[in-house]
Amino acid sequence: MSHIHFPDGILPPWLWISGFVVAILVWAILLRFIKKEELSRRLPLLGMMAAVMVLGASVEIVPIAYHVNLTVISGILLGPSLIFLATFVVNVILALFGHGGITVIGLNTLTLSIEGILGYFFFRLFHKMVKRLSITTFSATFLALLFSTLSMIGVVSLGTSHYEDLIHQGEGHGLFEFKLFKEKDDHQEINQTRPREEGPEKADKTRPREANLKRFIAVVLPLGFIGWILEGIITALMVKYIHRLRPDLLGLEGKSA
Amino acid sequence: MIQLSYLDYSAQEGKSWLHRRAPKAKVIGVVLVLLAVVTMRSLPILFFLYAFLVVLFFLSRVPVKIFPLAFYPLLFAVFFILISGFQLYFILLIFLKVLCGSTSVVLLLSTTPYPSIFRVLGKVLPSLFVTALFLTYRSIFILLEVFEETQQALYLRGGLQWRHPWRSLINISNAFGHLLIKGMDASEKMYESMILRGFENKIHYRGD
Repeated sequence: MSHIHFPDGILPPWLWISGFVVAILVWAILLRFIKKEELSRRLPLLGMMAAVMVLGASVEIVPIAYHVNLTVISGILLGPSLIFLATFVVNVILALFGHGGITVIGLNTLTLSIEGILGYFFFRLFHKMVKRLSITTFSATFLALLFSTLSMIGVVSLGTSHYEDLIHQGEGHGLFEFKLFKEKDDHQEINQTRPREEGPEKADKTRPREANLKRFIAVVLPLGFIGWILEGIITALMVKYIHRLRPDLLGLEGKSA
Repeated sequence: MIQLSYLDYSAQEGKSWLHRRAPKAKVIGVVLVLLAVVTMRSLPILFFLYAFLVVLFFLSRVPVKIFPLAFYPLLFAVFFILISGFQLYFILLIFLKVLCGSTSVVLLLSTTPYPSIFRVLGKVLPSLFVTALFLTYRSIFILLEVFEETQQALYLRGGLQWRHPWRSLINISNAFGHLLIKGMDASEKMYESMILRGFENKIHYRGD
């Protein structure tokens, strides 16, 4: 759910350009923390984990429009620095196939990395506290997904006025003016007929942009909740499986239950 | 994603006029299409661009079973119907942007062998990034092979059954876990063979 599926031209330029700038800056900073030999040794693993993430993201669970990201497990295995590069690569490949726009790559990298990096730290922290691998992984995945989805919603809400322009761009274009579903407060005109003097609270209630964004949040959060539980369980079971066969990959000290 | 192997096969074995064009020219073509997708807001222009790409697709004699791959991002574009207030113009605009982008990339990948594409990208993008991109793309093929084996093992263990959701979840997770372990083994072997061939954070392509 934290992956922004916006195609190109939907987000305002200032937003996606800032996304790229911040992503490149963060990447440049994180690269300084990795030794050259370490990077060279772990590049094939990075490629493999990125491939796992691409495959996970391409399988949609249709009833809830959700796809697993597997970013948390990749974060646990790769560490916070490499997960950033991995999510960058994953987003480039997904965007090339139309799964999210090219312009959204920077923002998607940031939101998905939040998931991977937080997942890594939550996993380490909870493991020190609880020691039970399943509970630790599930909680770390659930919380990381919650935070990254909230950051995705934050990003989406930053561009609300831009979507409104796009949506209303089609009005008055004859053939394309057809509307499948009309809502009482869907038009900008309502905003104009109720001036600001009525007070910000009333004016806010009539804003179509908020109604649409609320509808988006109302759909994303409940469906996301089901998805987070599902991904949490899948990740926990996967980590348990890896712990059984290759415990060295998890880099945990001491025995886990 | 399963069709990726067909993409590679088509790129290697295809003999059409588009297959014979220089990879550089095709990469530039895709960049131009993507630029148009980013900047265009006109529905008719996007429609003509899409029609042009579809004609190009069939002229280049790429196997038809690859074509549906370009439709898969539509699954994820459905959310925008909710944001749009059900405006048909907006929905069509989004769907056409998605289709133009994905069709152009599918067309590039099915008419150009991927080492040639990465060679062109390596000239303009940071080598570390292109190497990571190359290794990821290569790993997808390795994983797809492992996935086919895993799928069989999954079915032998009961596969997915709606009546037994917990059992199914365990099966899926074990399958993913198996995929990960096998993938990591493959990545370790890949790294060892790359080191033997003198790998130093940069892949050199034929003709470099």
